[in-house]
Amino acid sequence: MSATTAALRPRLVKRLLPSRATRLAVRIGAVAAAFVAAALFLLLAGNPIGPVFSALWSGSFGSAYGQAQTILAAIPLVFTSLAVAIAFRMLLWNIGAEGQFYFGAFGAAAVAYAWPEWPGPLLLTAMVLGGMLGGALWALVPGALRAYLGVNEIVPTLLLNYVAILWVDYLVNTAWRDPESLGFPLGVPFSAQATLPQLGDTAVHAGAIIAVIAALVIAVILRKTIWGYKIKVIGENRRAARYAGFSITRNIVGVMLLSGALAGVGGMVEVSGTVHRIQADISPGFGYTGIIVATLARFSPLLILPVALLFGALITGGVELQTIGLPSDIVLMLQGTILFFALAGELLVHYRIEWRRQAQTGSEGEPGAAGRAHPGAMPSGT
Amino acid sequence: MSTHDPGPAEGAVELRGIVKRFPGIVANDNVDFSVARGEVHALLGENGAGKTTLMSILSGAYRPDAGTVSVGGRTMSFRSPKQAIEAGIGMVHQHFRLVQPLSVAENVLLGAPSTFRLAGNATEDRVAELAEAYGIRVNPSAKIWQLSVGEQQRVEILKALFREASVLILDEPTAVLTPQEATHLFSIMRRIASEDRAVIFISHKLDEVMAVADRVTVLRAGRGVATLTIGESDKANLARLMVGREVMFRVARSDHDAGAPRLTVKGLIATGDLGLPALRDVTLEVRAGEILGVAGVAGNGQRELTEVIAGLRPAISGTVAIGGRDLSASTPAERISAGLGYVPEDRLGTGLIPSLGCIDNVMLKRTDEFARGFFINKQAAEAATSELVDRFDVKTSSLHSPVSLMSGGNIQKLLLARELSAGPGALVVAQPTAGLDVGATEAIRRLLLEQRDAGVAVLLVSEDLDELLSLCDRIAVMYEGKVMGVVGAAGADREQIGLMMAGTASDPA
Amino acid sequence: MKSSLKLISLGVALMLAAACGTGSESAGEDSGSTGGGGSKDVVKAAWVYVGPRNDGGWTTAHDNGRLAVEKTLGDKVETAYVENVPEEPAAATRAIEGFARKGYDIIFTTSFGFMDPTLEVAKKYPDVVFEHCSGFKTADNMSAYFGAMEEAKFLAGMAAGAATKNGQLGVVNAFPIPEVIRLGNAFMLGAQAVNPDATMKVVFTNSWYDPPKEKSAAESLLDANSDVLTQDVDSPATGQVAGAAGAKWVGYNSDASEFAPDAWLTAPVWDWSDYYIERVEAVLDGSWESHNYYGTLADGIVGLAPYGKSVSQETQDMIDAKRQEIVNDEFDVFQGPVYDQSGRVMAKKGEALSLDQLLSMDWFVKGIEGKLPAS
Repeated sequence: MSATTAALRPRLVKRLLPSRATRLAVRIGAVAAAFVAAALFLLLAGNPIGPVFSALWSGSFGSAYGQAQTILAAIPLVFTSLAVAIAFRMLLWNIGAEGQFYFGAFGAAAVAYAWPEWPGPLLLTAMVLGGMLGGALWALVPGALRAYLGVNEIVPTLLLNYVAILWVDYLVNTAWRDPESLGFPLGVPFSAQATLPQLGDTAVHAGAIIAVIAALVIAVILRKTIWGYKIKVIGENRRAARYAGFSITRNIVGVMLLSGALAGVGGMVEVSGTVHRIQADISPGFGYTGIIVATLARFSPLLILPVALLFGALITGGVELQTIGLPSDIVLMLQGTILFFALAGELLVHYRIEWRRQAQTGSEGEPGAAGRAHPGAMPSGT
Repeated sequence: MSTHDPGPAEGAVELRGIVKRFPGIVANDNVDFSVARGEVHALLGENGAGKTTLMSILSGAYRPDAGTVSVGGRTMSFRSPKQAIEAGIGMVHQHFRLVQPLSVAENVLLGAPSTFRLAGNATEDRVAELAEAYGIRVNPSAKIWQLSVGEQQRVEILKALFREASVLILDEPTAVLTPQEATHLFSIMRRIASEDRAVIFISHKLDEVMAVADRVTVLRAGRGVATLTIGESDKANLARLMVGREVMFRVARSDHDAGAPRLTVKGLIATGDLGLPALRDVTLEVRAGEILGVAGVAGNGQRELTEVIAGLRPAISGTVAIGGRDLSASTPAERISAGLGYVPEDRLGTGLIPSLGCIDNVMLKRTDEFARGFFINKQAAEAATSELVDRFDVKTSSLHSPVSLMSGGNIQKLLLARELSAGPGALVVAQPTAGLDVGATEAIRRLLLEQRDAGVAVLLVSEDLDELLSLCDRIAVMYEGKVMGVVGAAGADREQIGLMMAGTASDPA
Repeated sequence: MKSSLKLISLGVALMLAAACGTGSESAGEDSGSTGGGGSKDVVKAAWVYVGPRNDGGWTTAHDNGRLAVEKTLGDKVETAYVENVPEEPAAATRAIEGFARKGYDIIFTTSFGFMDPTLEVAKKYPDVVFEHCSGFKTADNMSAYFGAMEEAKFLAGMAAGAATKNGQLGVVNAFPIPEVIRLGNAFMLGAQAVNPDATMKVVFTNSWYDPPKEKSAAESLLDANSDVLTQDVDSPATGQVAGAAGAKWVGYNSDASEFAPDAWLTAPVWDWSDYYIERVEAVLDGSWESHNYYGTLADGIVGLAPYGKSVSQETQDMIDAKRQEIVNDEFDVFQGPVYDQSGRVMAKKGEALSLDQLLSMDWFVKGIEGKLPAS
């Protein structure tokens, strides 16, 4: 046994069952810490704190305009992160929500162009189905490869993203090109019936309702249905699932189809609610951001709603910051800081930091311990 | 057997006034415990009595809420298992802490003083040497995941020996060993003790305690009840101290004739995880209303046999049939609905999902029953679970809290309760009482006999020969994937079965 | 994106603009002076950029214009910008509207993809005026503006034609859209005016600004034996590749000679300074009117960057002479005879390509080696 120092060292210790109160407190603390750190960054970079935070607030939650923009920015993220979350419940990494989003947009647009004169409710319903079908189809290939051939889903889902994006690119360059776009790759504008209505006189379109419904449906599937139960079991323990007689292959394919369908509805909502036509550049990476949102929400469909809103707020607040003259680099750093603390908060929900003395051997001579110490145990130091 | 009368001067380990509370329970309530060098000291108690908690405090995994720990006369305050290991405390846990993809030798070296570098064959030679010295049969280059539970435990023992622990704690070490292996382990324990080291032996098996220990400390409900030398104790008084009441050692077994063959396997050939032959032409027949035991040393194909029957492992050839219906090509689900119940050896990894609660675990095999359309009928599942928990006397704080928080006996009761609640025609049970306390073991055995009496065909795989002898109608003995013979349990000769377990064939009964 | 029009008074765009309810010149009295009406003491002007301000190309050219506005107008103007705005419609709308609701008086949006979002925001904020670059839609409070880059491309092509040793040029293009095709064709025709046998290979990156893709596209052109590279994308990556390989380079958008001084020949460049100063001043004195502007070499909107060391005086003189012809309206870049890749006559001798042909150009001129996806 060597002589030891009394240096305090941090250690991560797993919390066994974090209570609801702990989880809430840690998360709120993380957000608070994020803003303190962000403020420090701003000071160091020589920027005024007050105006920046007030712009961030008014651009995201603090004004009717900001709220609408935040919701609009959050809508596509809800769908892609639901897609990631449901797949991850079975320990599948769907990196392909981006491509499924594009293919869903393609499916919805195909419906919109085929029957532009159908009455709105019917056409929009058909477009949702088209979007689901498109997205599901795009997830089927990696799902089947994983289920039947054991091919890891990460690479196929990722690669198919590029194929889907190029496919939409091809269509808007050829068959679906708007003759009035002067040769530029833009699809023909949707008919009015194919456009999602606004909610009242706000800037928010009905996709917000579809997003909330989707999250609720997924939550119900996971919590209340037999299928959800099987997904949970397979995700927790594949051996036990096989033992219980659940078909792993069928459930992998099923979950991937659902995952793709969710991302596909996201594509439908985006083209029908925001873009009003199919075109290239309908997603600046919603499928990838969805992975972060889903992870932060701990793959819980209901938590995804607030987390997606947080992301929406960061996006819209970030634009607001640039319009008051903050360089985009500082904005990115600010967004990164807030995300970092949010992720760290998630870690601390499940682990706590303990400060321990390094390898203290021999007697500690603590009064409390000495009172109960065995008389023969002599304090000895080495 | 030598007995010592150790005074404080000889004390290897001295625990005084240990108190450890967990939310809702006091696991150790002012426990004193001392072990001398050169002795094998049994720590006896039912599951939940606080044995493992007490030893976790000694091995640095927990810190006591009150009380002192001293090792070799010095007061210690371990803040981590690492510090305890440095102080010479070695613990072999019930749940193994081995790195599955690494080899035996690599596992033994993990965490050992860093002067030993991982250097391929040299380390394997060292480990092989050490194993040889203590007569432990294990291949140093095999990967952990390829080993049976019994073999994995031997690696754990080797690990502690390799670190030259001066105090070796063994937590229920015989649970997965054959009688011969257990006997062998005892001689290892005695050898370690004879090297002026202390061996602490956690157990609830009275025969073993009587056979190997010098002294015994009995815990009940978190309190130290007594410390006795073996000379002044006998099985009956230890059992009484442990359980707090008189205990019946024999399970009553009615005589009745078995019915028609219910579960039959013919010519099964299958490979193990390694890809090596695990079953070489196994043919067995379990009749309705009988318990057919499968005896054998761990790793002779028993686990593979149960997995092939359950449909979890493909057979290369051969058939599995229940009630005359050929299920060889059926999925696990189809076998379940054909009336096959299965209690796997790996309770908390296959049979139950540790992170889920009782209700979700009961639903595992009864999803169809608790379905209302697409939805789960939560009320029905909860009611059924609560009824099962009551009927089978499963003790749990909540039907929703993870089953991993329950004791081993209650885990097994829940698992068995679920399998029996489906009303199986045939039941495959593997190591049903391994690691369970006397009370739980008694309850499980009674349940198995009830099933037999109710006309279920029970295939019972166990490494506890006493258990097989007391429960079974007939016993099949497996060796290297073959059935060496089937003998009637009544009047069976232990020696003969032991020989068959070691590979000597006998006439089929 | 940056699709352009020629001769606005005759253009389709005007009809579209009229359909949108835009007043033409005659509407000066009633709808011309928007922007809050009347003169102002200080104008708040904002720019929405598709790329980073320092991309060394398209966006840098616009930002130089913004800086010129600041320098010239001093206290009378307050400028701001947002960079890296995606062409995804929701994001673009968000950025444009962010300025509009902050009380900015004039907002310049500098990518084709911002056209519909600009129009949408313009409808919601009638007191703010908008200037969209490279599109065709206008409104009472929204102008369109662009320039005859094909004229500068032709001149730059002449420099390339004079510099090539093996007569094989290469171009890194963004999208297969009429604007890009037209500019590539102009460049090819300019090169052939000096070196009639010159040919040019084409690679598309499908992005305006993607330096790694541009780099590998340039490398593949060098592999195919091109010894002079040019580009219709926004970063100087092509020049860096050419410089490293000892090839020559004609840049685009702004003077980027510093990135590869040895390879540098010249670049057809944008100079938005005068236009931006004029438009902001118009808001200042209350004379702003919606229009569809198409600047030319004569206007100074397009031009050539300073020549590199290797461009001989003789070549410079020849290019200057051609520039004078264009400015004097004595020469049209797409003056016949023009042949397509298959040798078909697209414009006869003595004629020029029509506006329609220019707007929807989806074919390469003879000498260009490459295929268009849509054809």
